[in-house]
Amino acid sequence: MRRDRPRSLAEDLRRRSDDELGALLRARPDLVNPVPADLSALSSRATTTSSVTRALDHLDRFHLQVCEAVAAAGDPTSHTAIQQGIDADPALVEAALVRLHSLGLLWGDSNDLHLVRGAHDTMGAWPGGLGPACAESRRGVRLYAENPASVAETLTDAPQAVREIVERMVWDSPEGTIARADRPVTIETARSPIEWLLARDLLVARSNDTVVMPREVALALRSGQLVRDVHTQPPALVVKREHDAALVDRTAAGSAYEFLHLVEALLESWSAAPPAVLRSGGLGVRDLARSVMTLNRDIPTAALVLEVAYSTGLIAKNTDTDAVWAPTPAYDVWLARPDAERWTLLALHWLNMTRAPSVVGQQPSGGARTNALSDDAESPIAPEVRRATLGVLRESVPGASVDSDSVLAVAQWRRPRRVSAARLDLCRSMLAEAAIVGLTALGGLSTTGRALIDVDEHELNRADARGDGRISPGRAPVPPEVVASIEGLLPKPVDHVLLQGDLTAVAPGALDAKVARELSSIADIDSTGGATVYRFSEGSIRRGIDAGFSATDIHHFLSTHSTTPVPQALEYLVDDVARRHGSLRVGVASAYIRCDDETLLSTLLSEPKLAALRLTRLAGSVLVSTSPPDFVIERLVDAGLAPAAESMDGAVVVRPRTAFRTPPRPRPPRLTTEPPTPTGALVNAAVKALRAGEQATAARPRAMSHDAAAEAPSTVPRASVGDTVDLIGAALISEEPIWIGYVDSAGVASERVVEPLRFEGGFLTAYDHRSGEVRTFALARITGASAIATVSPTSTKRKKR
Amino acid sequence: MTEGPLIVQSDKTLLLEVDHEQAEACRRAIAPFAELERSPEHIHTYRVTPLALWNARAAGHDAEQVIDTLLLYSRYAVPHSLLVDIAETISRYGRLELSSSPVHGLVLRTTDVAVLEEVLRSKKIAPLVGARIDPETVAVHASERGQIKQALLRLGWPAEDLAGYVDGEAHAIELDESSWTLRDYQREAAEGFWHGGSGVVVLPCGAGKTMVGAAAMALAQATTLILVTNTVSVHQWRSELLRRTSLTEEEIGEYSGTRKEIRPVTIATYQVMTTKRKGVYAHLDLFDARDWGLIIYDEVHLLPAPIFRFTADIQARRRLGLTATLVREDGHESEVFSLIGPKRYDAPWKDIEAQGWIAPADCVEVRVTLPNHERLSYAVAEPEERYRLAASSQAKTALVESLVRQHPDDHVLVIGQYLDQLADLSEHLDAPLINGATTIKERERLYDAFRSGEVRVLVVSKVANFSIDLPEASVAIQVSGTFGSRQEEAQRLGRVLRPKADGRTAHFYTIVSRDTVDQDFAAHRQRFLAEQGYAYRIVDAEAVLHPPQSPTAGASE
Repeated sequence: MRRDRPRSLAEDLRRRSDDELGALLRARPDLVNPVPADLSALSSRATTTSSVTRALDHLDRFHLQVCEAVAAAGDPTSHTAIQQGIDADPALVEAALVRLHSLGLLWGDSNDLHLVRGAHDTMGAWPGGLGPACAESRRGVRLYAENPASVAETLTDAPQAVREIVERMVWDSPEGTIARADRPVTIETARSPIEWLLARDLLVARSNDTVVMPREVALALRSGQLVRDVHTQPPALVVKREHDAALVDRTAAGSAYEFLHLVEALLESWSAAPPAVLRSGGLGVRDLARSVMTLNRDIPTAALVLEVAYSTGLIAKNTDTDAVWAPTPAYDVWLARPDAERWTLLALHWLNMTRAPSVVGQQPSGGARTNALSDDAESPIAPEVRRATLGVLRESVPGASVDSDSVLAVAQWRRPRRVSAARLDLCRSMLAEAAIVGLTALGGLSTTGRALIDVDEHELNRADARGDGRISPGRAPVPPEVVASIEGLLPKPVDHVLLQGDLTAVAPGALDAKVARELSSIADIDSTGGATVYRFSEGSIRRGIDAGFSATDIHHFLSTHSTTPVPQALEYLVDDVARRHGSLRVGVASAYIRCDDETLLSTLLSEPKLAALRLTRLAGSVLVSTSPPDFVIERLVDAGLAPAAESMDGAVVVRPRTAFRTPPRPRPPRLTTEPPTPTGALVNAAVKALRAGEQATAARPRAMSHDAAAEAPSTVPRASVGDTVDLIGAALISEEPIWIGYVDSAGVASERVVEPLRFEGGFLTAYDHRSGEVRTFALARITGASAIATVSPTSTKRKKR
Repeated sequence: MTEGPLIVQSDKTLLLEVDHEQAEACRRAIAPFAELERSPEHIHTYRVTPLALWNARAAGHDAEQVIDTLLLYSRYAVPHSLLVDIAETISRYGRLELSSSPVHGLVLRTTDVAVLEEVLRSKKIAPLVGARIDPETVAVHASERGQIKQALLRLGWPAEDLAGYVDGEAHAIELDESSWTLRDYQREAAEGFWHGGSGVVVLPCGAGKTMVGAAAMALAQATTLILVTNTVSVHQWRSELLRRTSLTEEEIGEYSGTRKEIRPVTIATYQVMTTKRKGVYAHLDLFDARDWGLIIYDEVHLLPAPIFRFTADIQARRRLGLTATLVREDGHESEVFSLIGPKRYDAPWKDIEAQGWIAPADCVEVRVTLPNHERLSYAVAEPEERYRLAASSQAKTALVESLVRQHPDDHVLVIGQYLDQLADLSEHLDAPLINGATTIKERERLYDAFRSGEVRVLVVSKVANFSIDLPEASVAIQVSGTFGSRQEEAQRLGRVLRPKADGRTAHFYTIVSRDTVDQDFAAHRQRFLAEQGYAYRIVDAEAVLHPPQSPTAGASE
């Protein structure tokens, strides 16, 4: 029964070679996820609307037009027909048809070509804007079809209004709405332009209120073209200026270094004062504004920095009750890496992150402002948009400054079905972001940017799948070719600074992280960029001393790391601050002992019995203790001394003999490591809950989902109230679960497996297996009940209770 | 990658490594569009400001040149955003231009109608303009030329002023270089000013700003009005001009409290210009008394507010501002730039010192500990009294005496703020005192005696802050000042910077009470000079009172 031509896509697929099938699966990865059982399954999956839509979404404008032409040409068609119907190089059309065939969107052979069903559905009622064929029903139309030139002849003496209608309907829409479309008209009685056309069969009434232009008429007017405005090539990229490629690289590297600094500056400020996590999960508007101030940049840049740091895993929420956004340990790991690797990691995550920083701070119509780091800033299409947009730039000559509108136009041509205002906005902001991150500069893609987008897009995913996600994100491997391309362009690491008389220190390059950290604890950062300028002040030195530096440490640090002599004024400043630092001392003491006899105090200090008081001598005649006065007095008495208590104003306190009492204190908390023993009821409920899943599936006669159960409530026979009551009574005694049909207060019918516990006053209290809780059912709403054994033979296998 | 001398920072400051071989070339290249902010020993800081960029644009530099310069000298890659920002800022200049139309007089014209619409909507601009002539042009009242320029600058749309200058009444003025020659930097400064039309020349104290003024007059060849700070200064300008130019006594007029002469070259004081009689400024007419071809503002950083306002009205005349320290604690530097004109020349003090035109100076801050009773009264004093108490501590007197003793061969100026403190010092040192109450005649007599060596130590109040030419002074001891005034500090140092015949180092002592506001103010006061590369040493009073061995504290290194 084998025929020469395949009768369906499945048959077509069966005839394909392994390579061809492989190509299909590679081009449409959704077909292998999961792997279909056989080729019929593959074929039916390949024709689902979702899969076809996905495949069409990846086509460029020309392929889509070819596809539309196939749909417009009618089923089946042939290569020759399509080539004739498209005003383009037939070889290109042929190539496009072959590609569409290999994608599984077309099937059959070159003389018997079919478009898959799903694709047809996406083209609208009239693919190519061509109406229905009417030659068989209308004589006039048949004549036109036989002699296409006659259409134009008929129209030669048409009034202007008629021509306008024809022009509109020939390409845009073959259908029009008009009242009483099926009115009888003749050439003589025609009054309006529509009637003029109806009378000559140039339009045909389809129903009583629609008219169409017959396909034959339109094709005649289009001189056989199935689709309009065919462009086989994307619009040209507009190159505004050609720079030296090295200049673009350098400038991009400048931006890259700046971006690195921004991330660091923001995270350092968050290390000191982490902002709160909003209840909805994002970062508050005020904290965003604060970040904007910290970075001294605009909102989009600050949002970009935040989102990239987040996607790279350098910041995260902590899990406290008052959650804050804080740098992760990965940040420290990341900090320790060379600049080039650090940047590459950020750039890679920017390229692949499914987040859209550009929507942060925007207010979608009718919605609240989008917060940074919130779920609203998620954008699943972002990685694809980035790659698509940068992919266009990738094709320009290195160094070329490309007009961004032309980039968008090309991107649009490549994925016309994906075009939307939101996506265009996204594209545009991606270009801006690429410049900030440092992939592009002066309108061109840098060498590093090129290397970066050549990195396999799935590398990150694969790394995660391999379990690399378990190692610190800060240590994640980065593609060496990208690192190499930017390494030489970033400021060289330096480990020294130049100290100057105006109390500034300049690090003329990327200061070694450890030195930078120490320096920033004794000096304030004045400006950053290729170099870092630090300024010393009294406050900054004091901060350093507070942090544990001694004057000697600071002098040593400065002389070690400065290539210039340390200015005298700076040395003096350090000494001066150190001299004054700590001249006032503050500490904690609960009691003091004063005595004019200093020798006596000295003996107290050396008295072993008083060691527990931890006495410290503040001055010749004063000792302090961290123990409370009462305790101190008690111990002193024990040691054979005669202390007197003193009030705040120095008077001796005479105390009546009363027992010591603390101020009111709450009971200490019970700190146990073991959880409390469960009550019997709790254990019973837990066991029932564990059984619930098993029962619900095992007890059902057929494997039924909840939906299915709702559609087929007839499993439980409707029963009279008397029978129901009897059944429930029996179940109460036997302690067996039963099926009941139940209509809830909203009128929704459902079936449940319940275990009756109590039955009185018209209400059944029972354990409901589905919800796993004990609830009450009104008898009036129970539509019927049946023992599980009568419904399901499998219930006999139930474990004995 | 080039190892350039310049590092571009993200806050648009430029760090120039001074010891780099290309440093000088780079300095010249960036000077048109970046302002020198700090010039300490190793790395100078320049800042690229919108104003500087627009001035560069006005001087004929375009964005591409600016960016190419940065890229040429930059050691590291320059961020893209910075380049974009520079290009955008520069492109804002010249969208609006002020020009003279033969029919409508002064007009504001635009190449970008949207910009004109935007600025005309501003409340600040609306009262300054007249009728709309066509979509691209609007009339401007001639008298509002300065105001509208200032207002547009604030809006960020600077207007290119093409309306030109009036030549003024011609008057022959030649430099008489028989006994001296104009220094290179003075010539550069005068020519820089002349090509720019109007503007400010910044040179250190003692670097010969008067000569720059004279050279500018010789270029202008027109009647000139010179505004100076005080009468002594009037006399100094006058004698300098007589010595340095072809001008004769009859051609130079003095317009001060005592004399009101209006001659082809007239020197007036700010004080007389701002004197009010019956609520009106009686002498502002002087600006219109002649058809001045040039107006020189000496010590332009002191320009009083009424002169500011009046200057706005005379934008058609060439204006030259001279100063050593264009820092104002009131932050009005930008008004000076917009009304007088942009900075046309600026030289780091240390550069001029290196060329030998000003004396090297040793700046020392002496920290003195307040005696216990003064510490107590300081602690309980009202905040507004604290500085006076700390600054006029008794402990300073002994220190001043000791310092004067350590410089037996020098001419010493003791400078202070508080009259009773100065009177006390004058008594202890047995030195004459000059303060506001001293008559002009007496002042000049004492200055002459000081110059001739008859008087070796002079105690002066802030009347001697400016424009007093005392070439012999080589030691200045500052005991108190006007709080944290940076320019006062610089001006006082300037008193001892005239190069000495024997090339000796000048000494500048500031006596500061430790752990008081005096110390904080001193730190602020020193910022300008520290940024100019003067490294202050800080010593304790004990080290001065009981020097280890050498008699001069300054020579201990």
